[in-house]
Amino acid sequence: MSAPDTASTPTTSPIRQQSGPDNAAHVLLDLRNVTVNYGGIQALREINLTVRAGEIVTLIGANGAGKSTTLRTISRLINARSGQIFYDGRDIGSVRPDEVVRRGIAQCPEGRRVLTRFSVLDNLEMGAYVRSDRAEIRADIERQFTLFPILGERRNQQAGTLSGGEQQMLAIARAVMSRPRLLLLDEPSLGLAPLIVRNIFAVIRELHEQGVTILLVEQNAHLALQYADRGYVLEAGHVTIEGAAAELADDERVRQAYLG
Amino acid sequence: MAHFIQSLLNGLSIGSVYAIFALGYTLVFSILGIINFAHGAIFTIGAYFTYVLTGAAFGFNGVLANRSLPFGLTLVIAMIVGSLLAGFLSVIIERLAFRPLRRRGADRLLSLVSSLGVAIVAVNLIQYLVGAEIYTYKGKITGNLPSAVNFGSENTPIPIRTVQIVIFGVSCLILVLLTFMINYTKIGKALRAVSEDATTASLLGINTDRLIMFTFFLSGFLGGMAGTLVGSSVSIAGPYFGIAFGLKGLAVIVLGGLGDIPGAVVGGLVLGLAEAFVPSDYSAYKDAVAFGLLFVVLLLRPQGILGRVQVQKV
Ligand SMILES: Nc1ncnc2c1ncn2[C@@H]1O[C@H](COP(=O)(O)OP(=O)(O)OP(=O)(O)O)[C@@H](O)[C@H]1O
Ligand SMILES: [Mg+2]
Repeated sequence: MSAPDTASTPTTSPIRQQSGPDNAAHVLLDLRNVTVNYGGIQALREINLTVRAGEIVTLIGANGAGKSTTLRTISRLINARSGQIFYDGRDIGSVRPDEVVRRGIAQCPEGRRVLTRFSVLDNLEMGAYVRSDRAEIRADIERQFTLFPILGERRNQQAGTLSGGEQQMLAIARAVMSRPRLLLLDEPSLGLAPLIVRNIFAVIRELHEQGVTILLVEQNAHLALQYADRGYVLEAGHVTIEGAAAELADDERVRQAYLG
Repeated sequence: MAHFIQSLLNGLSIGSVYAIFALGYTLVFSILGIINFAHGAIFTIGAYFTYVLTGAAFGFNGVLANRSLPFGLTLVIAMIVGSLLAGFLSVIIERLAFRPLRRRGADRLLSLVSSLGVAIVAVNLIQYLVGAEIYTYKGKITGNLPSAVNFGSENTPIPIRTVQIVIFGVSCLILVLLTFMINYTKIGKALRAVSEDATTASLLGINTDRLIMFTFFLSGFLGGMAGTLVGSSVSIAGPYFGIAFGLKGLAVIVLGGLGDIPGAVVGGLVLGLAEAFVPSDYSAYKDAVAFGLLFVVLLLRPQGILGRVQVQKV
């Protein structure tokens, strides 16, 4: 895995300037007052969210709260109506989606979305589409097979014929293949058996230890808050609570609404 | 028997041109889910590009009457350059007729109408520029080869026109290259990824707009090449040259299964063979055979000859 890139670049983000390039709390992602509409419907309202380098941040909330919309906005699949998105100090609010990947943000989308007609191996290769270092790509593919041995066993199988859990592993491994600094994960536990979920979260933790910063969207708040450093609660397109994961887990409102 | 072999070889030849032409539709359909009605016009224009590039002059009807380019490329080179130009034209058409609609998230039916509009304008423009006459290429793609090859014996000759053999060879070469490109190269894999799921493809870092441009380029190249090949076999039959061919191309992709690449090849060959086996007394009814066949296939296998059955989830 790639080590976090600590090279400093000129910045324009206000927060980045305050904290300085060598500060451990270097802000990697910074959403400021982001509002997103689908037609006439407001899906996100003035969202403020930051992710510092090296953190696992979780975004929790009920169905339809706007979690996937937030990730889609960061990946530039949809335009924000207003507000700004800074990544590593630079405004990415108007770059193309492929450019976002090139700059170091990978997304593992909701519902896995593996390329069903591609083999496991080809899916991983496509994950490295923005790279051209062939030998390193090979080595990274082998690393995915150590992280997820089942994928190695099924390397030549069509991805569409994998089980749900295997597809989720493939989707994560594929996102990692671009060597992101920031990995966006959209409900990696959705619809999976507890054993598989634990397996997947162990890998997420391992990726984090290897230096990948993670923004994790989850409905399973209990699980997410166990692994995250900080969390945001999204309700009807608005951030209502934010704070350290441990605080959120103890928060009465969060307990009632999401932890049962 | 001799007649059978002759029909078979001729059918393969014209079928292979149908195949590369139809692949132009298929590539665009597999990426955008729309039929590009301008493809038939590209076929015609590609044939004219090649004609112009050979330095040939036009007749007496259009604005360009009795004009020729100051240089003349040999037919083989003109054919390649003409097809490349057809590819670039196709990219321009994508910019003008498809991209603006896509940006606005317009209904696919609108793209269909706008491409039909492009086709009509293009055909009228050709008529205005060069008139409605029939043109024949200067030179031959067969070079100095004899005009026919005997596949039979002295006693039972099975003559096949050399140009048919060359057309078959060129089409097969293009099919092989295209298959290789789509299955094994990075850009080919990206094309398949966009065709399966464009959103996911952009999350993988694929520039989908650029890929769509590339697809239109390939499509236009194939259309222009098909036009030139048919033009060199018969002649360029005026501005409406590509219209009938365009409809047959549609029959081919429906026969093969919409968006299916091997299907387009099989569909092309089936159609070419079916036409070749129409007895010469009835050759005026070739088109009826083509569309009759389409009708029968649609009744028996609505998903096309090779098409996968779509599993309906209830
Ligand atoms: N393409 C779309 N067009 C219109 N409305 C949309 C679209 N996508 C999402 N929405 C609406 O925006 C709101 C937020 O959706 P989003 O998918 O972000 O929710 P979510 O928090 O990810 O929910 P879930 O947990 O169910 O995945 C919802 O009310 C949804 O109906
Ligand atoms: Mg969601």
